[in-house]
Amino acid sequence: MREKKEKLVVAFLTTTQAMAAEKYCQKNQIPGRIIPLPSEISAECGIAWCAEPEEEEQIRQAADNGEIQAAGIYRVYLYP
Amino acid sequence: MEKRVDAMGMTCPKPVILAKKEMDKSRPGDVVMVQVDNEVAAENLRKLANSQEADYEMRKLGEKHYEVKITVKKEGSSREEKEPEYISCVPQGQKNTVVVISSDKMGEGDPELGQILIKGFLYSLTQLEKLPDTVLFYNKGAFLTCEGSPVLEDLKTLEKEGVRICTCGTCLDFYKMKEKLAVGTIVNMYVITETQAKADLIIKP
Repeated sequence: MREKKEKLVVAFLTTTQAMAAEKYCQKNQIPGRIIPLPSEISAECGIAWCAEPEEEEQIRQAADNGEIQAAGIYRVYLYP
Repeated sequence: MEKRVDAMGMTCPKPVILAKKEMDKSRPGDVVMVQVDNEVAAENLRKLANSQEADYEMRKLGEKHYEVKITVKKEGSSREEKEPEYISCVPQGQKNTVVVISSDKMGEGDPELGQILIKGFLYSLTQLEKLPDTVLFYNKGAFLTCEGSPVLEDLKTLEKEGVRICTCGTCLDFYKMKEKLAVGTIVNMYVITETQAKADLIIKP
């Protein structure tokens, strides 16, 4: 039986911002991946960055420093 | 009097029609025993029994064997009765779902967007409550199951959960990618055709 696990999901205002964040995270070896924005966060179409909850601090810092343009940081349960 | 209806292997509404026929010929106290091989048919027989004010008993005799005992209470059937609402003949969540991927992009338009979309689509498959049974890849879609594909992890997740990942052999051959296949199996056109022909639902992004 598959079980959902808690993930950190970062939402963006634009697809370009999401892709820039992907590039930033890859460059700085912050593990995670691009996923379609989960419906729990918004019904709007968009892409988001998905990472393990442990990465929250690192991602918040990058957002605070303006390295990534996050519109919101969430915890969502997703299938692994 | 006991009547027996063997409806094993029959797709609904056949079990219900056969049972109803016997019930219509029955007298109060008569019993109609129906053998079916799926729960949905058993459930539809319960609705039939209810609509005819008959008693209903069900025993599960095996993995795919249900015995339904309907005890008739009234003579014949009255025509004023409302037709019972039978539930879908295909058991919910048991549909044979096949996803067909014929390109390494989703939709027509900007190629970069098309790649983002197909990546998102294949990830979303892993988030479905009921996973598809098979994902077929052909033509440019075959690149997605080979080394260097951006969706390998998601496809491996699907495969681990029992989803069949099938890639067209002719395509791998044509693009000289046979050695690079990284997930699933190679299939021929007969499997590609038959898998789709037998599907209840085909999803093509």
